Amino acid sequence: MSDPTLPPIPPGAGARPGLSVPDLLVALGVVLLGALLLIGTLQIPFGINAVVGPRVFPLIVSVGTLLLGTLLTVNVLRGGRAEPAAEEDTDPDARPDLRQPALILGGFLLGAALLQPLGFVIGTAVMYFTVGFAFGERRAPLLAGVALIVALVTYVVFTRGLGLTLPAGLLNGVL
Amino acid sequence: MEAVTSLLAGFETALTPMNLLWALIGVTLGTLVGVLPGIGPALTVALLLPVTAKLPPVSAFIMFAGIYYGGMFGGSTTSILLNTPGESSSIITALEGNKMARRGRAAAALATAAIGSFVAGTIGTVLLTFAAPAIAEVAVQIPPSAKFALIMLAFVTISATFGSSPLRGLISLFFGLTIGLIGTDLQSGQARFTLGRPELLDGIEFVTVVIGLFAVGETLYVASRLRKDKASVIKLDGNASMTRDDWRRSWKPWLRGTALGFPFGAVPAGGAEIPTFLSYTLERKLSRHPEEFGKGAIEGVAGPEAANNASAAGVLVPLLTLGLPTSATAAILLAAFQQYGLQPGPLLFVTNADLVWGLIASLYIGNVMLLALNLPLAPVWARLLLIPRPFLYAGILVFSTVGVYSLNNSVFDLILLAIFGVIGYGMRRFDFPVTPAIIGVILGPVAESQFRTALQQSNGNPAIFVQSPLTVFILLTVLAALVVPAVLKARASRRG
Repeated sequence: MSDPTLPPIPPGAGARPGLSVPDLLVALGVVLLGALLLIGTLQIPFGINAVVGPRVFPLIVSVGTLLLGTLLTVNVLRGGRAEPAAEEDTDPDARPDLRQPALILGGFLLGAALLQPLGFVIGTAVMYFTVGFAFGERRAPLLAGVALIVALVTYVVFTRGLGLTLPAGLLNGVL
Repeated sequence: MEAVTSLLAGFETALTPMNLLWALIGVTLGTLVGVLPGIGPALTVALLLPVTAKLPPVSAFIMFAGIYYGGMFGGSTTSILLNTPGESSSIITALEGNKMARRGRAAAALATAAIGSFVAGTIGTVLLTFAAPAIAEVAVQIPPSAKFALIMLAFVTISATFGSSPLRGLISLFFGLTIGLIGTDLQSGQARFTLGRPELLDGIEFVTVVIGLFAVGETLYVASRLRKDKASVIKLDGNASMTRDDWRRSWKPWLRGTALGFPFGAVPAGGAEIPTFLSYTLERKLSRHPEEFGKGAIEGVAGPEAANNASAAGVLVPLLTLGLPTSATAAILLAAFQQYGLQPGPLLFVTNADLVWGLIASLYIGNVMLLALNLPLAPVWARLLLIPRPFLYAGILVFSTVGVYSLNNSVFDLILLAIFGVIGYGMRRFDFPVTPAIIGVILGPVAESQFRTALQQSNGNPAIFVQSPLTVFILLTVLAALVVPAVLKARASRRG
């Protein structure tokens, strides 16, 4: 019986032949995380409280992670693979382009580095610009203008209106 | 009728001009973020937490409650007009609602969704009003071992219901638990998993985790596979309104959807997904126009939307009475309570009656406000869908930065935000649901503390977990929730 309320199962999903290397790396990553957690757990000092020390719960979590990672690895080795999520603005058939997220990440880290020396407005304007650019906006002067206005308005609203302290940087004394 | 007296006192709190204003801000913001892709109620409450630290708790929670309900109303607008559901619980609304909109019946689809949400939200709130104090009275006597078992139940059911496989959900949960472990152990004073960084001694702020996994992760992921063609937003002329025939076909599905949604939200099984699917199937069976289903049947919008909203009201029952969140937004509300030094649970109704009843009263008020905001203003909200994506996502990232930076005024937190953003990207790419991780971060420390309290009471004898019949019953349910779906799946695949 086919149920139209459920998304159609792609033919052969879950048992597709061939091993997915990215999926395998993720599964092994979970195993590695579990192993590192176990090592970390054994380094936690026992503490004075003898009944249930600070190690017990981390031990459960790390062994659990190790176990789940192993199960996932087995699943991947038997041909299992992950279906990328479908979001409101994504195209399920698009070829993933990793340059765009890399650009956003770079812009974000640059903006974060500039936040204290040059101030909140410059830092977040840099972030805004790179995200806009990565999402395909090519009218650079417009984007830069909007970026500065958004950053400035956010700064004023949050510092004046809501009493937060954000680094002024270049605007020190101006605003 | 003690509940009625308490509720009336709650209305006194909620009807002050200031609190009405906060409720209005909340429902407006909630509808806004519900409509906009890339940002939702969970993220919004997390972003607002640092900002609201100076507000009186009652006002803050009245605003958060408005955001919580508003997000549901807004979400249906997006799924009807854009056909791309943001949350799994709106898949059904997108299914029938968008078909209706394409046939030129967008106004009726929006109206039945909004009025259905109002009906379900109001009935759900009435049920909450009477169920919550009754459950709280019983819950006072629950021993720590049973509380720990209840948390386990929430962990397992949430991991199993969100996402495509329980295994992936559990990995996500354990990732969250791991993050929750980082920092100084409060009982023994020992540092755990801090990697020698003094910034990590206080643990990682859950706000950073939530914003990283949701907002930054979403931005990175959408950028990697952006829809190139312009999203086809259906044009809406005039208000959301229905004909007499639409009313006749909608009212029963609303009530049936409510009856399905509330209990599913209220038991710690989590998720509005199951009741919306059930409601859809039920309406298709009962409909006198089964041929319309799949082509835009109004019953298929009315029922699931009501189920969705009623389950949102139901989720507040375990949250307020047991301190047990079963959705991402509820988990963040729990963290908000903790920020104010409050512990949701049975005692909250005694120690903070003003707050709880003010909050519940504001849900009634918020529902009325949302109906008023969504019927005549539907075209305004629809226009929000036309915001160019570059500017929208850039704005979301800037607000995320403000929210996280203002926690401690530290750039280190922004680095953490970037790391969680990359992890959030990976979770979307490799199909790990985000909600279990959020629940793990917030509820993990609570679980550990109940676990240790239970064992300390028994002097370390683990038999404490099998001595109370209640605890045993809950733990057996946990086991069943883990094993039964796997067995059914194995049997189904053997047959198929």
